[in-house]
Amino acid sequence: MAEVRYEAASRIYPGSEIPAVDSLDLDIHDGELLVLVGPSGSGKSTALRMLAGLETVNKGSIYINDVDVTLKPPQDRDIAMVFQNYALYPSMTVAENMGFALKQSKVPKEERRRQVEEAARILDLTPYLDRKPKNLSGGQRQRVAMGRAIVRSPQVFLMDEPLSNLDAKLRVQTRAELADLQARLGVTMVYVTHDQVEAMTMGHRVAVLKDGILQQVDAPRTLYNSPKNRFVAGFIGSPAMNIVDVERIDGRLAIGSLPIELTADQTAAASSDDSTDLAVGVRPEHLTLANGGLDGEVSVVEALGSESFLHVRTQHQGEELVLVVREDGQSDITRGDNVSVSIIGPVHLFGGDGERLGD
Amino acid sequence: MSNAVVDRDTESRADEVKRLERREGWKRRIPILPALLFTIVVTQIPFLFTLFYSLTEWRLDTPEPREFIGLDNYTSLPDDKFFRDAAWISVQMTVMAVLFSLIVGTLLAILLDRKFFGQGFVRTLLITPFLVMPVVAGFMWKTQMFSATFGVINWVINLFGFESVEFATRYPLASVVVVLVWQWSPFMMLIVLAGLQGQDTSVLEAARVDGATTFGIFRQITFPQLRPFLELGTLLGAIYLIQVYDHIEVIVGGQPGAKNLPFYIAQRSIGGGNRFGLASAYSIVMVIAAIIIANIGLRVLSNLLKDDS
Amino acid sequence: MAVFTRAPKAEPILGQNRVVAHLLALLTWIIGLLFFFPLFWLTLNGFKEESVANSSPVLFFDPTLDRFSEVTESTTGLLSFTEAFGNSFWIVLISTVLVMALAVPAAYALAIRPMRKWRDVLFFFISTKFLPIVGAIMPLWIIARDLDLLGTRTVLVILYTAMNLPLAVWMLRSFFAEVPKELIEAAQIDGCSLIGQIRQVIMPIVAPGLAATALLCVIFAWNEFFLAVQLNPVGASTIPVWVNSQQKFQGQFLAGLSAASVLATLPVVLAGWIAQKRMIRGLAMGAIK
Repeated sequence: MAEVRYEAASRIYPGSEIPAVDSLDLDIHDGELLVLVGPSGSGKSTALRMLAGLETVNKGSIYINDVDVTLKPPQDRDIAMVFQNYALYPSMTVAENMGFALKQSKVPKEERRRQVEEAARILDLTPYLDRKPKNLSGGQRQRVAMGRAIVRSPQVFLMDEPLSNLDAKLRVQTRAELADLQARLGVTMVYVTHDQVEAMTMGHRVAVLKDGILQQVDAPRTLYNSPKNRFVAGFIGSPAMNIVDVERIDGRLAIGSLPIELTADQTAAASSDDSTDLAVGVRPEHLTLANGGLDGEVSVVEALGSESFLHVRTQHQGEELVLVVREDGQSDITRGDNVSVSIIGPVHLFGGDGERLGD
Repeated sequence: MSNAVVDRDTESRADEVKRLERREGWKRRIPILPALLFTIVVTQIPFLFTLFYSLTEWRLDTPEPREFIGLDNYTSLPDDKFFRDAAWISVQMTVMAVLFSLIVGTLLAILLDRKFFGQGFVRTLLITPFLVMPVVAGFMWKTQMFSATFGVINWVINLFGFESVEFATRYPLASVVVVLVWQWSPFMMLIVLAGLQGQDTSVLEAARVDGATTFGIFRQITFPQLRPFLELGTLLGAIYLIQVYDHIEVIVGGQPGAKNLPFYIAQRSIGGGNRFGLASAYSIVMVIAAIIIANIGLRVLSNLLKDDS
Repeated sequence: MAVFTRAPKAEPILGQNRVVAHLLALLTWIIGLLFFFPLFWLTLNGFKEESVANSSPVLFFDPTLDRFSEVTESTTGLLSFTEAFGNSFWIVLISTVLVMALAVPAAYALAIRPMRKWRDVLFFFISTKFLPIVGAIMPLWIIARDLDLLGTRTVLVILYTAMNLPLAVWMLRSFFAEVPKELIEAAQIDGCSLIGQIRQVIMPIVAPGLAATALLCVIFAWNEFFLAVQLNPVGASTIPVWVNSQQKFQGQFLAGLSAASVLATLPVVLAGWIAQKRMIRGLAMGAIK
């Protein structure tokens, strides 16, 4: 298996000033499942395709196992890719699809068949080996695409939103299977998705991209607990973190009438930051309904059964502010109830430029 | 690991990439060059020659050499009765053929855009006229339909007590137009049918829910959507129909009543008239007219192509 | 997108009333049959004796195949049917092969690995169709005469290739554009060479489109008359010229001429019937997609 390294890699489309991927520095460890996540247009697919050799690297370099592959065509990189639409060869059977790459490498027929059957066994595709893609369901096609990649035993697996075309339930199921497969095979995998839940559940580490720039790359837990900037804080976690713009009044911060307690580290960072616009972030599970807090009215109740998320309309700095609060799933609170919101967990602080201040 | 590493030391990555991209650009262009060159040499260059010929007085049947006379051929055109007649016939023929085949084609498309027994078979019947060899179509209509002696149309007319009419000689222009419409309505029908079948059913259903009548729906929703297709049909039809020759040769064989420009030009030059310079001038006038039509058409086409980005 | 192979949607334009629907279907049938009638009549006449054909129209008679067999034997006129058929056959075959040989790489360059200004180039090809051929016929005739090509098959092969090339490029491009880009990328990643990609991935998908395009080129080349008669009045005449020449000689031989006409136009009509769906799709997609 292999390590992958992006060194200041950029992709600038001809005729455009703004890079689609801007000077990306990223180290991917051997055997790691690294997820590239971000909203559409963030450059995640482009970055993946740069690794595949399907996009020109205008600046910088890409290394696989310390070998500079930047100028090498896709067929020379020893990688395998699963496309969003699977890209199965319509005129070939499942077995032929999976054996295609081996055929290109002149692997003898017997050996080819053996490897294909092995991969089919792992993916439960054995009964479908003689079918053509048009006679398969979406989930089966997805597995064939996986099988095509596995059979090659490449150095790196590239996945471009492989689950987006599956229905929700199948997606969740396949997600788990994929993660399990990766762990068992121990292969290096670079996985692109726009779904942050997918990113968090699958990735050993997650790289968040926005507008072609890497925002943060860390283990999911770290991303969740210590987002480096406002964007990451708001992107990771569902429902999203409550992020509120606050003003310093007498050196203190508050949401509405609710005072904010900062850690020593945060207070120090805040005082050295000259900007007057600060932002405070609190996750829904760190808010609770308790007397003596910020008063508000419940406008929406998202009852999930295991938990409920309440949207509470409050007043902050003279304007309406909606806070999302996590409540117990069995709670009887309904729309229109008057409640009071307090903070029971850590608070994140962001400076005027969006960067994280303190811990 | 040879050249790539060494070169990287001397030129920056960006330069290297630019070099590769330029080479890639050429690799992409090469496959189309044979077709492009062939087309230019065989179809475009002759036009330049025609332009040059049009500026000369050139009779192939006399020993006098070709002499350059500038724009004299063109200035003689307004007084050239035969040219004016031929041009007017061209205009009438093209306009009528395009218009009527468009109307008939649209009606056929509307009728065909539904599910009924044998729809495929009827469609096959309807497109056949377009496939028929124009010479055969001309001959067929002239002898089997229009003929005063054994034409079917006259046989029907006789049934009603009217006298037979030799259509091809009495009404040459109309006869030719009828055959053209017969052959080109299927073409228009297919284009309009594509437009009809590309409609979004949910939009039509929403209109019904909103209480629109059948005709109302057609007028306000379907027809506006059909416009680009109608324009395309008109354009392609005009481009082809302005060049009609086969039918005229077969049906009326040079009778004055239906000689259009292409026919007259061919007659005036290769067909024995031998006045190559003058005929070339006629051609250029026709080419200019075609270019004007084409420009309108290219705009229509570019709108259609723009949707494919 | 619009494909006639799909059954029309449930919501026709004209009314949903059952009776109206049936009436309209009947009307459509009648119009269809009327449209086809001239051809039907022509074919019918081909089976008649000359005496029967040369009088008032009759529907019922004793059919005979004599006229059809006479066509192939006929030697009146300067050219025989079989000769003309042979000329047409070879000219159409070779020019279509040439067209495809030129148009396939062109379509590749416009659709799969598009060159930078592919739209402009496509425009250019289409625009060459817009100029009337009559505007070029004189130089072409002169050049053909000077190169001693008048009355040969070669000159028509060259010109028919040029005539059909824009159409072929237009249609093939739209068929090639249907190949999903990812499929080719997958083949690249799987280690497939360029030739391999074309042969194993692209061709299976575009093969029907290639056939449809070739068929359309055959139709137009087979039916072409103007160039054939201007450049080849005698020597290597094609079927259309032959048909036209016959009617000048044989005013009274209606049945024979009908039989000959049917044979002349039959190959193309059959080809069109067989491939109609795909040809329509190729043309439509080129314009509408």
